[in-house]
Amino acid sequence: MPMDEIVIVENLVKKFKDVTAVDGISFTIKKGEIFALLGPNGAGKTTTIHIIATLLRPTSGRVFVGKYDVTKDPNKVREKIGIVFQDPSLDNQLTAYDNMYIHGKLYGLRGRELHEKIMKLLEFVDLKEYAYKQVRYFSGGMRRRLEIARSLLHEPELLILDEPTIGLDPQSRAKIWDYIHMLKKEHDMTILLTTHYMDEAEELANRIAIMDHGKIIALGTVEQLKAMLGKDVIYLTLDGNAKEFCEKLIFAKDCNIIGNNRIELLVDNAPRYLPEIFRIALTNGIGIREVSYRRPTLNEVFLHLTGRELRESLEETPSIIQKLPLRWRRSR
Amino acid sequence: MSRDLDALIALIYRQLKRWAVSRSRIISIIIQPLLWIIFLGLGFGTVFSAQNIELSSTINNSTITKYIDPSIIRSILSKYFTAIFGGVDYITFLITGMAAMTAFIGSFISGISVIWDKQFGFLKETLVAPASRKTIILGRIIGDSIINTVQSLIIILLALLITHQINPLGIPIALLYIFMMSLGFTGLGVTISLKFSSMEGFQMIVNLLTMPLMFMSGVFYPINTMPDWMKVIAIMNPLTYCVYGTRYWLAGVKASLGFMNPVTSLIILMLFTAIFATIAMFSFEKTTIED
Ligand SMILES: Nc1ncnc2c1ncn2[C@@H]1O[C@H](COP(=O)(O)OP(=O)(O)OP(=O)(O)O)[C@@H](O)[C@H]1O
Ligand SMILES: [Mg+2]
Repeated sequence: MPMDEIVIVENLVKKFKDVTAVDGISFTIKKGEIFALLGPNGAGKTTTIHIIATLLRPTSGRVFVGKYDVTKDPNKVREKIGIVFQDPSLDNQLTAYDNMYIHGKLYGLRGRELHEKIMKLLEFVDLKEYAYKQVRYFSGGMRRRLEIARSLLHEPELLILDEPTIGLDPQSRAKIWDYIHMLKKEHDMTILLTTHYMDEAEELANRIAIMDHGKIIALGTVEQLKAMLGKDVIYLTLDGNAKEFCEKLIFAKDCNIIGNNRIELLVDNAPRYLPEIFRIALTNGIGIREVSYRRPTLNEVFLHLTGRELRESLEETPSIIQKLPLRWRRSR
Repeated sequence: MSRDLDALIALIYRQLKRWAVSRSRIISIIIQPLLWIIFLGLGFGTVFSAQNIELSSTINNSTITKYIDPSIIRSILSKYFTAIFGGVDYITFLITGMAAMTAFIGSFISGISVIWDKQFGFLKETLVAPASRKTIILGRIIGDSIINTVQSLIIILLALLITHQINPLGIPIALLYIFMMSLGFTGLGVTISLKFSSMEGFQMIVNLLTMPLMFMSGVFYPINTMPDWMKVIAIMNPLTYCVYGTRYWLAGVKASLGFMNPVTSLIILMLFTAIFATIAMFSFEKTTIED
């Protein structure tokens, strides 16, 4: 087993009573990289994370962290990872310091060393002045930052962040992105994160695995993923036979029917070909109800692969994501 | 190994710290036995006291009064009641039982706190920790049992103000019985709570369990006067031995069934505790977040 891979997932399947949450996925994470699982609600991201973190047993398949099998050596795996869960996991009745202190004790830290580490990390996440305040008075962003600080206390080899910025306002999101960049730069830390924000995956990850319905439908760097679509993508909604129309558009690099009478057209230069498209439609008596073209983003990649808009399953458009405070309902 | 010990201490620390900051919980735990003591104790206390019996109307018209002095009847009745309650008045009898019951009820509150931790997510934090899960849950059980014992101590100290039939020197030994009992029932409560994700489900099971155990332990009335079927249950009920031991050391009450004495009671309690704490440790070891 080559040792530059810190996580190895092989044919992982997880079934709950009647749902298959994870449906045979495989991937590896290299030491020092930031790896993102991107996908809509219910894709199986959290379930995957929980199996890697030894909190759920796989139905089948194998998962290794370091050289340890998560089902055979869970304690060895637990030593190596630090995790921030999607849902809160702090003790609200205790102070920030006590939350850190108890965590430290659970990971075998003690004395001066523990105290100094706690203070250093609280400073890192800008919570030093709140060290002795009860967590129940903290805002969502402060809690998230405290959870990140706590997960770093025992210097894990692998940091797992499950939707690290869910429910946070833009400033808090930006702050958490900064911490992640810093961890990567200064400690060369390996990070596995899940997100359903495309911009988050693009901003942070070296490699991205796009998940949908328990499967990984694409995996690669942002550039590799976008390269699946070329330079421009034109979307057309037609009145008439989409398949026939596709055959007529010989200049396109690819023409796919996605959804109801909707086609996706891959071209190098959309503005140049648009008039051509209208001309062909007119001469063939095919009505065009809607037309748009875009530079491919991860959303277009997702659309290409699934026929659904990633951002539709998120109920918001990317431009709004950057401007409005996000208050997602928690999945459970 | 030393990390596991640290984890044990960390969880004890956590339970104590939480308890210290939640004053409402402390008060509500003390209030309940206090209400029992006031209403049952003072209410029945006068019923079970010969001094208040209206003899003339009870033995009205009878020839008995001609030959026997009413004060003799009073003293016989009084001896009868004292004997029934093992040598003390009813309020002392009840209050010493309440000391044990306070910790008993508290033991199941620990189960509720496990469910809170499930819902608020802290349980996951303990589940991903590399420290041995057995010691993590044991720390929790010990921490909560310390709390329960302290709460019982508060009841005992209050009892010192209400009755003077309590021997302060017996308090430390009585607390040992209470601590043992609490470890066992906290283990049981935690084991049950690991199987439930909702408060309602857990509370239903707990109510079904605590009510009969409470009434068939001798807290409210002596076990030796119970109907036979009830005695059988009382014998199988670990709380019985704690109530017996607590009463014995606090007030010298010996009301019991044949085989019971302070030593056998403590041994039975320790066995019970060992079994249920172990069950709790093994169930926590196997816990995933799926349950
Ligand atoms: N404990 C469970 N019992 C039953 N079904 C579950 C359980 N946990 C998750 N699921 C189901 O498994 C599927 C995947 O859920 P998961 O939480 O892994 O998705 P996710 O990608 O993390 O989604 P989100 O973006 O909403 O967090 C969902 O259909 C969910 O309902
Ligand atoms: Mg999730």
